[in-house]
Amino acid sequence: MSKISRRTFAASTAAVAASAAFGFKPALAQAYPARPVTVIVPWGAGGGTDATARIVAALLEKDLGQPFNVVNRTGGSGVVGHSAIATAQPDGYTIGMLTVEISMMHWQGLTELTPKSYTPLALMNEDPPGIQVSSSSPYKTVKELAEAIKAAPPGKFKASGTGQGGIWHLALVGWMQAMGLPANQVAWVPSNGAAPAMQDLAAGGLDLTTCSVPEARAIIEAGKARSLAIMAPARNPIFKDVPTLKEAMGIDYATGAWRGIGAPKNLPPEIATKLTAALKKVYDSAEFKDFMSNRGFGTVWGDAAHFAGFMDKGDAQMGEAMKAAGLSKA
Amino acid sequence: MRLPDSVTGSFLVVLGAAAAYGGYILPPVPGQPVGPNVFPLVIGTGLALCGLAIVFGIGHSFEEEEELIPMEDGQAAAPPPQGRFYGLRALLPPALLLFYVFAADRLGFIITAAIMVYVTSTALGAKWKLALPLAALSPFAIHLIFGKLLRVPLPAGLLPTPW
Amino acid sequence: MLKTLIDAFALISTWEVIIAMFAASVYGLVIGSLPGLSATMATALLVPVTFYLSPIAAIATIVAASSMAIFSGDIPGALLRIPGTPASAAYADEAYAMTRKGQAELALGAGVWFSAVGGIAGVLSLMILAPPLAEIALSFSTFEYFWLALLGLMCATLVARSSPVKAIAGMFLGLLVSCIGIENPGGIPRFTFGITDLFGGIEPIPALVGVFAVAQVMRAMLTPEPPPLPRRKFGSIMAGQWKLTRKYHWQMTRGNIVGIIIGVLPGAGADMAAWVSYAMSKRFSKEKEKFGTGHVEGLVEAGASNNASIASGWVPSLLFGIPGDTIAAIAIGVLYMKGLNPGPTLFTEKASSMYAIYLMFIIANILMIPLGIAMIRVAAYILLAPRSTVMPIIMLCCAVGSFAIGNNMFGVVTVAAFGVIGYVMEANGYPVAAMVLGIVMGTMVEQAFVTSLIKSDGSILPFFERPVAAILAAMAIGALLWPVMVWVWRKVKPAQTAMATTR
Repeated sequence: MSKISRRTFAASTAAVAASAAFGFKPALAQAYPARPVTVIVPWGAGGGTDATARIVAALLEKDLGQPFNVVNRTGGSGVVGHSAIATAQPDGYTIGMLTVEISMMHWQGLTELTPKSYTPLALMNEDPPGIQVSSSSPYKTVKELAEAIKAAPPGKFKASGTGQGGIWHLALVGWMQAMGLPANQVAWVPSNGAAPAMQDLAAGGLDLTTCSVPEARAIIEAGKARSLAIMAPARNPIFKDVPTLKEAMGIDYATGAWRGIGAPKNLPPEIATKLTAALKKVYDSAEFKDFMSNRGFGTVWGDAAHFAGFMDKGDAQMGEAMKAAGLSKA
Repeated sequence: MRLPDSVTGSFLVVLGAAAAYGGYILPPVPGQPVGPNVFPLVIGTGLALCGLAIVFGIGHSFEEEEELIPMEDGQAAAPPPQGRFYGLRALLPPALLLFYVFAADRLGFIITAAIMVYVTSTALGAKWKLALPLAALSPFAIHLIFGKLLRVPLPAGLLPTPW
Repeated sequence: MLKTLIDAFALISTWEVIIAMFAASVYGLVIGSLPGLSATMATALLVPVTFYLSPIAAIATIVAASSMAIFSGDIPGALLRIPGTPASAAYADEAYAMTRKGQAELALGAGVWFSAVGGIAGVLSLMILAPPLAEIALSFSTFEYFWLALLGLMCATLVARSSPVKAIAGMFLGLLVSCIGIENPGGIPRFTFGITDLFGGIEPIPALVGVFAVAQVMRAMLTPEPPPLPRRKFGSIMAGQWKLTRKYHWQMTRGNIVGIIIGVLPGAGADMAAWVSYAMSKRFSKEKEKFGTGHVEGLVEAGASNNASIASGWVPSLLFGIPGDTIAAIAIGVLYMKGLNPGPTLFTEKASSMYAIYLMFIIANILMIPLGIAMIRVAAYILLAPRSTVMPIIMLCCAVGSFAIGNNMFGVVTVAAFGVIGYVMEANGYPVAAMVLGIVMGTMVEQAFVTSLIKSDGSILPFFERPVAAILAAMAIGALLWPVMVWVWRKVKPAQTAMATTR
């Protein structure tokens, strides 16, 4: 009995070995993925990026039939994880989630990595910043707030939403510039993420926050804060009453924090095409749409070429805002 | 490693001064009146002052110094130093951790962990009859919990695990 | 109300929820009790698992695992002097001293019993007082946080048994460590020396593991195997707890209240609650001199405070989506992932799910008593095992645990470095627990201090203007000046008596 099973085992091993040895090169794309794929997330478990990566990985697993394991490589404020994606073997078995920070950190001289260090696969999500005030604030519309900011001496108004030089700081700088004001017209109070900033706004310590609407959502729903406008081309379906900056003030300024899937540079094109096609299927699935809209996350699709162009454009925009704010080292 | 208070206190003075200087030379952040340089200045100054107080033994007059650490039984009697390099044995655990950092990716978790366990165990006086089975079994147990159940990506290296 | 409660019961009495809860409890107890692994890590590692569970079962695993892991962090603290969480670092010396006196079962029994009581008190506050507690949380601006953090730091001197100057020096060292990284007000690299891995700063957990666990193994290398503890029968764990409850009922209540209030304030959390409560217990005790020699009083108050803050930490999380601590941050992620979005609608539209969360908290804290006792019984065998088998396993756990936090080898390097730092500090009488407190609180102190100054345009007046800030400021300054005043009083008094006799 044991002999037989050992023999069959040996035979099957030989068969596997043979098929591996005689494996045809052109069959590579069809065979991919032949083993589990690692999905690197540069941010911690439980956050928005982590959640997005997990739903994408779960749906990829369903489509491609191999496990897609999410690994949180945290540390270095995102630098460590992003460089882990860039320096992995470009064999398709390590992919990762790129976030907007990749188009910002190199301007500050924190890393050599730029959007060009990756093979872009797909853009999945973008969240525009909103402009929030406390519910006890006298400003009912963004126009009133903007007039008051213009009239006040520089630095009188205090805003927050993330750390110095973070995405929401640059959104504020961009908005000021679009109104023709200096970058430091509103003083930036650095905070450890959007949640403490929203709490301080409700506690009366700040005049406004420019974090994204999903991040502000719970406090807004609790009646402690109001969203006056969003810096996006179109309204958010969850907050239909909040106008865009263009509708409210005629200012055509939009930006956002985005998330996309990328792989190390020089990924074989057939694997890249296969992954982008699978990601398109994920993006179109009802599960993904439901999950994202439930969290209030915006969904945006961009295939590899579009994603690359999108990152280039965003990179230039971020560089400009950082130079205006005096944050750029480049 | 018991050093006189004057030595540790002086070290703190130097460290505090270095931290304060390090904070002082940080470039100012545009648009930020109070920046990242303030806190190191405050901390460094405080640390240096504490160091000075320790050098001059001010802590003693405040409150009599009590028994340092609750020593383990039998530890109070100093062990007989066995040779000049006996004290260096204490550096073995951090050295083994660094060995893990550099070797785990190449050798894999199981082999590296087995070496670590075997060395630590024998250094603490275990006979090979105890250390060898421990080194052979415990890495698999840890790998089963973390690598398999909790999906921590432990490096496979030369010896892939059976699961 | 009654209907929601019945609906809530129906939600949690499915096999999936019951099994998930039981399994997560055992998991939390085991991970929390392994030296080198922490409650936060235990919770973070559960996230992938919750992805495949139903919403209520997913929350059940987080609730059960985090409550259990926070308690069981006390176990290695008491048995090996290797605290599992920054919270239990506050009283690890005390519990370990009790173990050496042969009272391990009393120390750990107090841990499990008062943790459970504190946990239930915390849930009740969450059920009954959530809206007013939330108001407290939202009345705290950075000015108030600054004073709160300062009060927290002062506990370092009260808790330490060595010279207060050395305790303060240890605390400053911790604050200095927290300066490393780019998570500072300017968002620029500070003390990183061009090392990318240092950008994120030094996490408190690897530092804690290094200064306690690795340093303990280092000490073992130089000392002969201690004689085994006197073979006593490991007595009943719960016996005597009722007596303690009656004797220290005021300390217990005070611990619960302090824990609930600190827990509600986002960012402070369980770590600070245990420190503040232990320090308060010592400060107001009638038997101050017994603290540090294996006295149970401080363990009662800190244990009661610790777990109360875990439950009340869910108040800002559930109402506003603002996490109370790192565990709550992960829990919020899971809530969103499962469609139970935090916010007031959770209390109205999804009231039955809300009540289900409350019930699970209560059940987890009741379940903690039998499971905790079983865990203590198993863990106590460590005291009988030879050192040469326990220490190697601790080393492995340190390596794997510090790697798993960020799946980054740099965590292991941090642990090794802090092992050396902790060893040298202890050998020279600098309390390492004070340094851990400094690292935990550092970012909060700096953030509160600097952002307050930015908001007030450099004026210090707003630090005293707001009413809550003024009260906290008075407390902090009073606590700061008190020892100086006592010292001056002692100096002046003998002089006066001397003068009186000469006259």
